[in-house]
Amino acid sequence: MPSLLHALQTTIGRKILTGITGIFLTLFLVVHLAGNFSLFSSNPEAFNAYTEFLHSLGTLLYLVEIILVIVFLLHAYIGISIWLRKRKARPENYSVYKTSGEPSRQTIASRTMAITGVVILVFTIVHLFTFKWGPGIAEGYVTYIDGQEVRDLKRLVNDIFQNEFYVIGYTAVMILIGFHLRHGIWSSMQSLGAMSPKLSPVIYTIGGLIALALAVGFLFVPIWIYITGGV
Amino acid sequence: MQNVKTNLKTSDKLDAKIPAGPIQEKWSNHKNTIRLVNPNNKRKHTVIVVGTGLAGASAAASLAELGYNVKAFCIQDSARRAHSIAAQGGINAAKNYPNDGDSVWRLFYDTVKGGDYRAREANVYRLAEVSNAIIDQCVAQGVPFAREYGGLLSNRSFGGAQLSRTFYARGQTGQQLLLGAYSALSKEVHSGKVEMFAREEMLDLVVIDGKAKGIITRNLVNGKINRHAADAVLLCTGGYGNVYYLSTNAKNSNATAAWRCYKRGAMFGNPSFTQIHPTCIPVSGEYQSKLTLMSESLRNDGRVWVPEKPGDKRAPNDIPENERDYFLERRYPSFGNLVPRDVASRNAKYVCDDGKGVGESGLAVYLDFRDAIKRDGENTIREKYGNLFDMYHKITDENPYKVPMRIFPAVHYTMGGLWVDYNLMSNVPGLFVLGEANFSDHGANRLGASALMQGLADGYFVIPYTLGDYIAGERPEPVSTDHEAFKAVEHENIERIDKLLKSNGTKTVLDYHRHLGKLMWDHVGMSRNKEGLEKAIKEIAALKEDFWENVYVPGEQSTYNKYLEYAFRVVDFMELGELMARDALVREESCGGHFREEYQTEEGEALRDDENFAHVTAWEFAGENKVPERHIENLEFENVKLTQRSYK
Amino acid sequence: MSSEKMKLTLRVWKQKDGASKGRFENYVLEDANPHMSFLEMLDHLNEKLMKEKKEPIEFDHDCREGICGSCNLMINGIAHGPQQKTAACQLHMRHFKDGDLITIEPWRATAFPIIKDLVVNRYALDRIMAAGGYVSVGTNSAPDANAIPIKKRDADLAMDFATCIGCGACVAACPNASASLFTGAKIAQFSLLPQGGPERKRRVVNMVDQMEKEGFGDCSNYAECEAVCPVGISIDAIARMRREYMGAMKG
Ligand SMILES: Cc1cc2nc3c(=O)[nH]c(=O)nc-3n(C[C@H](O)[C@H](O)[C@H](O)COP(=O)(O)OP(=O)(O)OC[C@H]3O[C@@H](n4cnc5c(N)ncnc54)[C@H](O)[C@@H]3O)c2cc1C
Ligand code: HEM
Ligand code: SF4
Ligand code: FES
Repeated sequence: MPSLLHALQTTIGRKILTGITGIFLTLFLVVHLAGNFSLFSSNPEAFNAYTEFLHSLGTLLYLVEIILVIVFLLHAYIGISIWLRKRKARPENYSVYKTSGEPSRQTIASRTMAITGVVILVFTIVHLFTFKWGPGIAEGYVTYIDGQEVRDLKRLVNDIFQNEFYVIGYTAVMILIGFHLRHGIWSSMQSLGAMSPKLSPVIYTIGGLIALALAVGFLFVPIWIYITGGV
Repeated sequence: MQNVKTNLKTSDKLDAKIPAGPIQEKWSNHKNTIRLVNPNNKRKHTVIVVGTGLAGASAAASLAELGYNVKAFCIQDSARRAHSIAAQGGINAAKNYPNDGDSVWRLFYDTVKGGDYRAREANVYRLAEVSNAIIDQCVAQGVPFAREYGGLLSNRSFGGAQLSRTFYARGQTGQQLLLGAYSALSKEVHSGKVEMFAREEMLDLVVIDGKAKGIITRNLVNGKINRHAADAVLLCTGGYGNVYYLSTNAKNSNATAAWRCYKRGAMFGNPSFTQIHPTCIPVSGEYQSKLTLMSESLRNDGRVWVPEKPGDKRAPNDIPENERDYFLERRYPSFGNLVPRDVASRNAKYVCDDGKGVGESGLAVYLDFRDAIKRDGENTIREKYGNLFDMYHKITDENPYKVPMRIFPAVHYTMGGLWVDYNLMSNVPGLFVLGEANFSDHGANRLGASALMQGLADGYFVIPYTLGDYIAGERPEPVSTDHEAFKAVEHENIERIDKLLKSNGTKTVLDYHRHLGKLMWDHVGMSRNKEGLEKAIKEIAALKEDFWENVYVPGEQSTYNKYLEYAFRVVDFMELGELMARDALVREESCGGHFREEYQTEEGEALRDDENFAHVTAWEFAGENKVPERHIENLEFENVKLTQRSYK
Repeated sequence: MSSEKMKLTLRVWKQKDGASKGRFENYVLEDANPHMSFLEMLDHLNEKLMKEKKEPIEFDHDCREGICGSCNLMINGIAHGPQQKTAACQLHMRHFKDGDLITIEPWRATAFPIIKDLVVNRYALDRIMAAGGYVSVGTNSAPDANAIPIKKRDADLAMDFATCIGCGACVAACPNASASLFTGAKIAQFSLLPQGGPERKRRVVNMVDQMEKEGFGDCSNYAECEAVCPVGISIDAIARMRREYMGAMKG
């Protein structure tokens, strides 16, 4: 039987990995979104408390972050390698090419996975610089929870999303993430073989709904802040 | 029992080598006394298998398993695309799973009778005997035959058989069986015992000291002419129905390999025995390139009719019941629409000859499911025949659930082929012929679902023994492809190709093939007579001459060139067509698919002449443009009683 | 009915052999007929070309009834053309209109090198089969066919997968040129049958490895293959292949 290392490098192994990492990242997004929504909590400090709680985890947080980074990069690496392999498998393209339609799942979403993926990658870096490594206590973003001095990330969020360029950019990226997941969620289940002809359309629909929910969910925060002036 | 002799003597050149003993014991006795090749010696022998249909793929795989080095050849880009893939209906075996009284004896009996007593008893018995092992073999290979809810194999009755002995895989039985044989072949390709040459066409046979020692091939991709030497050559190249241009055979099906062997000394048995299948989709126009078969299982529920009034052009559903002629039911009250293929076909021709034919061309009859749909409901009919109905719809753009299908007979199978003895060896030692390419088991008419059985019987269960016998007896020494004989044959073929490519005429190969097809269909088709046959012989000779003067073959030798391949094949079709007419002419009787208008009963049924024609006619090449020599192998019927077939 | 005429412009890929460069060539056919099959239309064009001593177009075909898998035409950007569940040889001209421009290209994939014009070499598919697409049973060593009952449902499903005609349309239509549907169909067939049991792990591993060696692309789950497959093999085959593979990974 193949060694695990070999198996994971085969065409099926690669897909299993994109599938697992894709689901993992999707779950991360769900958690992330839940965190975002604490901005709207009746308790004005809920959001900052939440981020502070994460920091209080210390090494555990680092561990989770490292796993996240590895998963993210692995996903990105395999995704791009799949896309590059395609160019080797068909160096000369058709002069006319069309999809045959249903039951094909060839859509704008599926055809642009690599593009939306790269956008997500770039966005994520920017996003980290803006928030994670952005201005903190030293720059005056400070608040107090139970008398403790903590970083006021909530204010930073509110400030950043006053800038319309930021809002527009963020919105656009969230739409693209929606697209990525529109194909991605269903696709990951198929990649893991967790699919049957009966299940397929159901999961495809659910996948679409989750993608929509995540995209709208993430969009909601900046747009709300921009329109209402802050939360 | 009964011992029919003709007044002609069996030729000295045709020794059928039928083993002695009671028919039930012939094959096992033969296997027990046959010479064996030591396993270590098998790997010293190379065997060429031409063709990878059911017969070829099963033979190549089985021989490779035994240890022989096998070189396998086919025209298509993959072994899996051989014409066998297209068989729809099923494969017979005497398993008697439905417990309806079937047995090896009955299958044997029915096959000899179905062939109108023109097949060799011993061969047919062996076929029936090994039929069960075929099913076992295929199931073990993972062939997904149809099953019952209990998980056991399902059978159906087919082609008018009184028993349910046909195994099937939906409407794609041939496909599944071939994929099974192809998988066995692939396994041996992988193990290195079979060297597979796809897109490599055999052009000629090389005979050295009277024995088959190799072949000359053309690589269809780059045109290279190659020599291949071996200790034996197995020809598994299928049938020659395409002599008629329009047939249900695949476009690449051809006679070339068999014909070249004929010209190198192998005798051609019963070339005129052709099967015309009654349920095909009719021709729709001049451009038609092939005919599509609709499984004859359709006749289980469909009713065949034509308008009673000649020239009645009303839409079928507007023709009232009392103005319809259900001619099969009328003429054959007991078998009705289920009469054998030859009878159904001929009767369709007669009503069309009377001007009652339907459709634009007037060359079609209706196959109507109205009553069956009324009786069983559309869903039941859809379950049984859905894929066939869809296929019909796709091709004709008519919905057979609403309007009756139009069908017409078409050439489907050739019972004739190279003459072989009981060991499947031709009269040229070392040249074996398997599957549809030989003449052996079906006499003058093949029963439905028995060609697949024969192809696999030959390949899996007969040749592994009989080839060993030849090799052990012969102990052939390897020959070099540098031998003069290889050079000479190669040279002849290169010259022929050059000649074809240089002929810069005005007519295309297709023009000739169509012309030949029409001559054959009109005169050597469903119904034949002396005058027509003589005319055909003359006209084909003229056509041949015209061909070499006026044909145009495009392109070059060194690239893929389908029309060059085609030209090569059509030349052979013309020559074979002439022989078919000759064979039909000398067989002054009607039997099975061979119907001579001069020899019929008062009611218009086939009239056999067992006194003078219970024999195989085998033709020996006598030189270009010379009348070939006719040989006879008398058939002895010791087990089956000869009766007149009656389906009234 | 066979008197209706259609005028067509055909834009066809011409390429002398594998080593040469190809190009498109335009042909005008004045008298196509709606009842012709697509291949008969090409025959007809070829006849005209040859009468003018011009080179005919090479295309692959054999059975012309959708079962041998020889025909392989990319018609207006869709493998086997616009009618689903229909091989190019079963496609009829009534699905086109008078005056249409039809682009015809060969299958394009590294694993399917062009031989001439529209004819490609698909030996790669055979090699995938040779890597494990069989049950290793020797001739004459099989038990009685009814010795092992198989649930009708499984047998029927196995048959669904077994009907693959090996045409390669799935590869041709796949944006990645992946052969997953073809390979998955065979693996899925055997995974459903007890006969396929003993070798199932080796089979999937070897066939998948071979698929990769041949230079086919990965599967991104576009499902375009299912849409163009002339026998409608479902991408369930691919899901099953992946499950089989995961089973094999477990050792
Ligand atoms: C439409 C249709 C339906 C049928 N249905 C049934 C059925 O239901 N039941 C049944 O029992 N029978 C059926 N038959 C008959 C049966 O399919 C054939 O008789 C049988 O498959 C022939 O098998 P074969 O192995 O002899 O030859 P084929 O399958 O014809 O194979 C011939 C092989 O020889 C190769 N070849 C030919 N010439 C050359 C050459 N010169 N050089 C190299 N290779 C060459 C070809 O490439 C091919 O591989 C049907 C036939 C047709 C046409
Ligand atoms: C939040 C981040 C991300 C999430 C939630 C996510 C999610 C997913 C999911 C669920 C899939 C389907 C997996 C499968 O087909 O088996 C997928 C596929 C893919 N992802 Fe991502 N992804 C993310 C980031 C990225 C990044 C950063 C890249 C690349 C730079 C990327 C590139 C791809 C590509 C190319 C595919 C398609 C793989 C294929 O063609 O088979 N993704 N993604
Ligand atoms: S899976 Fe479908 S498209 Fe692919 S080779 Fe088989 S029949 Fe052709
Ligand atoms: S020619 Fe056989 S499938 Fe199209």
